[in-house]
Amino acid sequence: MTKVLIIGSGISGLTCAIECASRGINSVLVSPFPSERAQSVLAAGGINAVLRQDNGDSIEKHIEDTLKGGGNIAGVKAVTGLCTEAPSVVRWLESLGTVFSRDEEGKIRQRPFGGQTYPRTCFAGTSTGKQIVTALVMEARRLEGQGLIERRFWSDFHSALIKDGKCCGALIFNEASGTLEAVTADAVVIAAGGQNMMFGKTTGSTQCDGYTAGRLLMQGVKLKNLEFIQYHPTAIETDRKNMLVSEAARGEGGRLYYEEDGKRVYFMEDKFGEKGNLMPRDVVSRTMYETGRDIFLDVSFLGREKILDRLPEVYDLCMKYRGIDITRESIPVKPTVHFFMGGIAVDLNHMTNIRDLYAVGECASIYHGANRLGGNSLLAAVYSGRVAARSIASSAPGSDGSDWSGFVKSEQDRLAVRREVTGDTTVSYVKTVLADTIGSALGIARSAESIAKGMETVDHFLAIKDEISFNKSELEYFNYRIDGLLNLGKAMLICADSRRESRGSHIRSDYPETDDAFRKATIVSLEDGEFRTELVVEDDYAG
Amino acid sequence: MRVKIKRQQYPGAEPFWQEYTYEGDMNVSVAAVIDSINSKDNPDVVSWECSCLQAMCGGCAMVINGVPRLACDTFVNKLKGSELVIEPLRKFPVIKDLVVDRGIIQENLKKASTYIGEYEHDDKYSQELEYQIGRCLKCGLCLEACPNYVKGDNFFGPLFADDSYFINARSKGDKKAIKRNYDKHFAKGCSKALACEKVCPVNIPTLSAIARMNRL
Ligand SMILES: Cc1cc2nc3c(=O)[nH]c(=O)nc-3n(C[C@H](O)[C@H](O)[C@H](O)COP(=O)(O)OP(=O)(O)OC[C@H]3O[C@@H](n4cnc5c(N)ncnc54)[C@H](O)[C@@H]3O)c2cc1C
Repeated sequence: MTKVLIIGSGISGLTCAIECASRGINSVLVSPFPSERAQSVLAAGGINAVLRQDNGDSIEKHIEDTLKGGGNIAGVKAVTGLCTEAPSVVRWLESLGTVFSRDEEGKIRQRPFGGQTYPRTCFAGTSTGKQIVTALVMEARRLEGQGLIERRFWSDFHSALIKDGKCCGALIFNEASGTLEAVTADAVVIAAGGQNMMFGKTTGSTQCDGYTAGRLLMQGVKLKNLEFIQYHPTAIETDRKNMLVSEAARGEGGRLYYEEDGKRVYFMEDKFGEKGNLMPRDVVSRTMYETGRDIFLDVSFLGREKILDRLPEVYDLCMKYRGIDITRESIPVKPTVHFFMGGIAVDLNHMTNIRDLYAVGECASIYHGANRLGGNSLLAAVYSGRVAARSIASSAPGSDGSDWSGFVKSEQDRLAVRREVTGDTTVSYVKTVLADTIGSALGIARSAESIAKGMETVDHFLAIKDEISFNKSELEYFNYRIDGLLNLGKAMLICADSRRESRGSHIRSDYPETDDAFRKATIVSLEDGEFRTELVVEDDYAG
Repeated sequence: MRVKIKRQQYPGAEPFWQEYTYEGDMNVSVAAVIDSINSKDNPDVVSWECSCLQAMCGGCAMVINGVPRLACDTFVNKLKGSELVIEPLRKFPVIKDLVVDRGIIQENLKKASTYIGEYEHDDKYSQELEYQIGRCLKCGLCLEACPNYVKGDNFFGPLFADDSYFINARSKGDKKAIKRNYDKHFAKGCSKALACEKVCPVNIPTLSAIARMNRL
């Protein structure tokens, strides 16, 4: 292949571009804003890899923890690939100059994260994701200087260019010129991140909206496991978002409790023993939910010095946004939407069901099953970018020189028609109601009833979607994405409805047990206006 | 509270001031105020850039009551005066309202070959300072505040000085070339006003980086 179009410039998109360039393949990296604004920079905690085995840790244990933490539905082959390559991923990041934290001997420091049998989360102070982005951007810049990477800003994905089951590029909307452009390529890689916009306050970035997955679903791309949404147990509510209190706070010894009759009840330790606070996220969030109480996280006993040394960002954010001094007071925490295990269905090469259309990073669904372990998604972002690049490099060039001007015109005309729609049902209204709807329907616990209620609202909006009026003062992307978001919302509800069991992050109050019949992944597709789901065994689907 | 926002419809259009009244909670960030202005069924929203909402991405850099700051990191009740005056960054071309094109930052870093290439850590450098510099948001606030930075034609500003230190400490490449670029695009133009350190939202000790680079 000679030219690749990559949508999204977070850690997965950057990695893919760099790895393609290192094989002499040109890539165009498209995103509305530079990588410094991508959600990847928020990742604080770390990235998992087995770097030492003298303490009893091993790649096998990393694989085992990942599969078990994910509710035993992720594919063994995929997870084996991920964990086996993890040490080389971290070494590669190190070789690009990432400023990892080091111990006295100069070795990369590692700490325990939830669901791990050994401490294997490598970190870079309190800004692991940011330090990785800094190193990757520098490398991308070097390759840009050689003409191998082109970074394009002010550009948003609109649609894929698909012909005869093969992807030949994408329609890109340029916000600066207000026009659509067909960018053709031998392969397209989607690296657009998670689906935060489907919910209200999350821990993540406003740039992760899920539109790309929703739009691709409308174009025949299969999605997977959309019911698995990770609620991070410890977020602190602020006026604009719920900010993450890193798992490192519990890794360093932080304790969760609620108050009863003036006494503290350390419910996680009571239920799960000494390591209770560091159970996998799904277990902690579910247990917090089941208490029905206000929950607090106490780190104050660690002492001021240790807190300021190990958890400075937690100290700063609690002080700045809530005026809470964590060296003296407990942190009020609540489970909050944080990560999406579900997304675009891919095979072991990260290719979708459409030839030469790939998905990498958080928007792809393959490694995390029903629940992701902390530190495994930065790993998956880098690893998936590398895997896709390797597959792309070994494929024959494929763009067929088709003329897409007709498609560009028809989509341009469609946008022009939508711009003229007037009426009270505005895009921003629908977006807000949609987030409230999905948030209520797919809370930590959901039921046939909550899902049906949500479906009613989403179906209503889908039925009147052509009557939704655009806001002319908004960036155009904020308007046209609404159709993709509505379809994604419906697909999420359908997935959640179809899984009639509780597993990992998917808790059905009407089906509280785990059922072996569902030890599979949910695939959802949209064909001729019909949503369909099927259950597949991961290892079979991924190839 | 009276809120004045400097707006502009499109690149090159004539800017104009628009006034709003904010009546909500004062214990909130400026980002929340803009959002509240935009959410009142307002068909004419004020465009602004935003991603993380917690001072980690640099998207919402703007000039607030005359000072370059991040909107999500600036709290209304800590501001002096009874008015909130918001303008886009003045040293970058406006795309729309408070959204500016900061592409020149990336362009200049590319022009001056600001990359590591082959990595090798030189232990005489401070890993702690490299870590601090690695947190640079590329938000442009230091460029906005710097009296010597105009449009980035030849003087690339404090963030470039920081990155020069970073690559010098971590690159096996041609250190003389790094220093030459640093001298040409930074040292010659810096008058040590130190405004950069004051406005940096992640407190990068730029002065330390400059001092160490100057000593080379
Ligand atoms: C607060 C927080 C802390 C976290 N901490 C950790 C951690 O410690 N360890 C860990 O392993 N994981 C962590 N995660 C998860 C991890 O950060 C993400 O899963 C990972 O960074 C995703 O990288 P990505 O490249 O897939 O996507 P992102 O970094 O989200 O990048 C997506 C890119 O796509 C672009 N984009 C989106 N839509 C479009 C469109 N329509 N057109 C064009 N471009 C588009 C965006 O602008 C952006 O450039 C954390 C997440 C959060 C929110």
